[in-house]
Amino acid sequence: MRTRVIAATVALYAACEGATRQTPPAKVAGVRVVDLIPPTLSGETWQDAEPFLALYASNAQLMAASAFTPNPGGSASGTAPIFVSNDGGDTWTLRNTLPSEGMTADITHAVGATPPVLYSGILKVPGVPLNELKASDFLSPATMTLQASRADVDQPFVRTAQAASADRVYVGLNDFDAPDGRTATVDVSLDGGATYKSRRIETRATVGQNGPSIRPAVAQDRTVYVAYFGWRATAGSTVTSDIAVVRDDSGAGGATPFRDLLDPSDHLPGRLVATHVTIPWSNAPTLGQERIGSTLSIAVNPLHSDTVYLAWADRVGTGDIYTVHLRRSGDRGATWTGDLRTVTNATNASLAVSANGTVGFLYQQVTGSDSSSRWVTRLEQSRDGFTTHQDAVLATVPANSPPLQFLPYIGDYNGLLTRGDQFLGVFSASNTPDSTNFPQGVVYHRRVDFATHRLLDGSGATVSVSIDPFFFSVPVLP
Amino acid sequence: MYTRSAMFLAVLLALPGAAALGQMSQATLVKQSDIIFIGTVTQVGAVAVPEVPASNRTVVVHVEQVLEKPAAVALGAGDSVTVQTAQPGSLKPGSQATFYTTGWIFGQGVAVREVGHEPGHSPVVVADQQAAVARARLGMNDAELKAHIQKAAMVVAGRVEQVRPAELAGGAPAHRTRISEHDPQWQEAIIQVQDGIKGAQAGEQVVVRFPTSLDVAWVGTPRFAVGQEGTFVLHKDSITGSPETVIAGRSVPAYTALHKLDVLPKQDALRIRVLMKKP
Repeated sequence: MRTRVIAATVALYAACEGATRQTPPAKVAGVRVVDLIPPTLSGETWQDAEPFLALYASNAQLMAASAFTPNPGGSASGTAPIFVSNDGGDTWTLRNTLPSEGMTADITHAVGATPPVLYSGILKVPGVPLNELKASDFLSPATMTLQASRADVDQPFVRTAQAASADRVYVGLNDFDAPDGRTATVDVSLDGGATYKSRRIETRATVGQNGPSIRPAVAQDRTVYVAYFGWRATAGSTVTSDIAVVRDDSGAGGATPFRDLLDPSDHLPGRLVATHVTIPWSNAPTLGQERIGSTLSIAVNPLHSDTVYLAWADRVGTGDIYTVHLRRSGDRGATWTGDLRTVTNATNASLAVSANGTVGFLYQQVTGSDSSSRWVTRLEQSRDGFTTHQDAVLATVPANSPPLQFLPYIGDYNGLLTRGDQFLGVFSASNTPDSTNFPQGVVYHRRVDFATHRLLDGSGATVSVSIDPFFFSVPVLP
Repeated sequence: MYTRSAMFLAVLLALPGAAALGQMSQATLVKQSDIIFIGTVTQVGAVAVPEVPASNRTVVVHVEQVLEKPAAVALGAGDSVTVQTAQPGSLKPGSQATFYTTGWIFGQGVAVREVGHEPGHSPVVVADQQAAVARARLGMNDAELKAHIQKAAMVVAGRVEQVRPAELAGGAPAHRTRISEHDPQWQEAIIQVQDGIKGAQAGEQVVVRFPTSLDVAWVGTPRFAVGQEGTFVLHKDSITGSPETVIAGRSVPAYTALHKLDVLPKQDALRIRVLMKKP
């Protein structure tokens, strides 16, 4: 049955790729899509972009999620919220537990070994300094504890690993105060966030900085990969960049971490997976009202750290706006395939590898043109290096509505993880309650009227369409 | 503490001549609250939402009238709200009060943290209380604006004559080669002062730096356009690292106006003058 679904999906994809889709996307069994906004915030109209997700291997019920969702009460309390689920993602509550005035300017998070410990890296409002935070119990009303802070940092991206004695925390970030313009950095804590060391991972000359995205991925054997953009030259708003990956084979606990993967061209740390790619840096609405310029994701097979997947976006120059590439290494990053997937006019690539080796590939793509253009969010997964893959369209929504309130429109990233036999993730999209926008089905807890495609507030009055975060789960291919 | 103050105030409010003191203290409660409602305690040591553990600090309140709430929040008469009280044992079943609270957990139901409460109400008092909260909020807004003005270097009514790229000194941190999605993309507005309310005189020109970025870090920050008129509350630029700029060949201080209260309608100039004269 499942094989037939895959085959049908592949055939459909082959027939339709490059053309406007006419046939409704296939329905994949067992998929859940849930709007995170709870019923008591039915009146909200904010642009809840850039979602992220954290979950526990040991407790399927507890999850934390975030987005650019403001404290409903405003900034006076000096706190910003996270979403919390204690029923496996079926329902979510919003809790004001982050030390930031009303909202954050960036946020990612990851769990500790023992539920309900949570680590978070935020850019705090106001002033946007980096705050590295910890909650011993993210379900508690207590504000998360500040563990480290500094200014001049961009895009903290948190991953964790479970060591016997303490949580290890890896925060990829772009540190503008790093020497010599080599700003790609990983803040490493080997003691549950009590202390951090900033580890510089760029070893080559840059244009004065690296790209914003520095993405760690950790396997169970403590192998840590980090992907980053090696920005080498700029011309106007175009950046010429290398796509580089460093590796550390012992959890980055040594004196000179991230030196275990050299490039054969110069024998420097940081394997150059692609060189001299063209990055269109556009901090303005460019792709379906979204900005572009720093899409990057890396995922390692948690049980077999030899296998690692990498995705990034650049401009190929064949009329594309922004193109996502997906590649794989089976020898610890030493050699890489060519593109296993090449997706035009797409962004927000997120990767995860399940315990059985199936790779999940989440992305958001603009299809169609002008007023008929749509943001299509898909999760593809494959067991054979994308010779075949299953394609689940999670959402297909108008790209021109609602109008943007700020940037990012839907996010500079989204989130994909895996646990057991499920891929679990979050994405942001227009929240019009229209069943045709969600081919796998969707659950709203906020008040809606599907018959009239209207959002309603607590009194039943119509609420404007906005961007909401959506949680999803998709069964892993067996 | 707030609860005791509120009880004391309730007595004071009943006394002739106590309105001013009562209003001031109610303003304090209002200032710290974002959800204010009248209701009756139905259960003590209990909760109405599954996400909050019951404790000796939690009570369930039946809402009779919502006086203030954020637009996003779905809360109305007839709902049950879980309140984490400021003090255990301060509320009994059947207690009627106006609750001053901040939002805590929003899920299937709402849980709030108590800032304070004013005990007792009646159908007549509901309308009075609604008006009193509205007056207190207005008073708080005035107090907030006055404090804001006191911290400002300059307050002027005027017109934006020109908008230009910001001239930041080369060594300023914000001017270093730094490509980030959070880049403010500074510009400068040159304002012709028509009414110098604080720190300036009519006829002067002042330069105000403002971000043009659409990035989330700058959402809600005031923007300027040529021809725009208003009352502007200006602060010396301590953000960009380049405190001065140039106008007509002269080096002059640069200002910023990043708070929502920094750009007000032109007719607010009179209100500001009145506020500045108040003790």
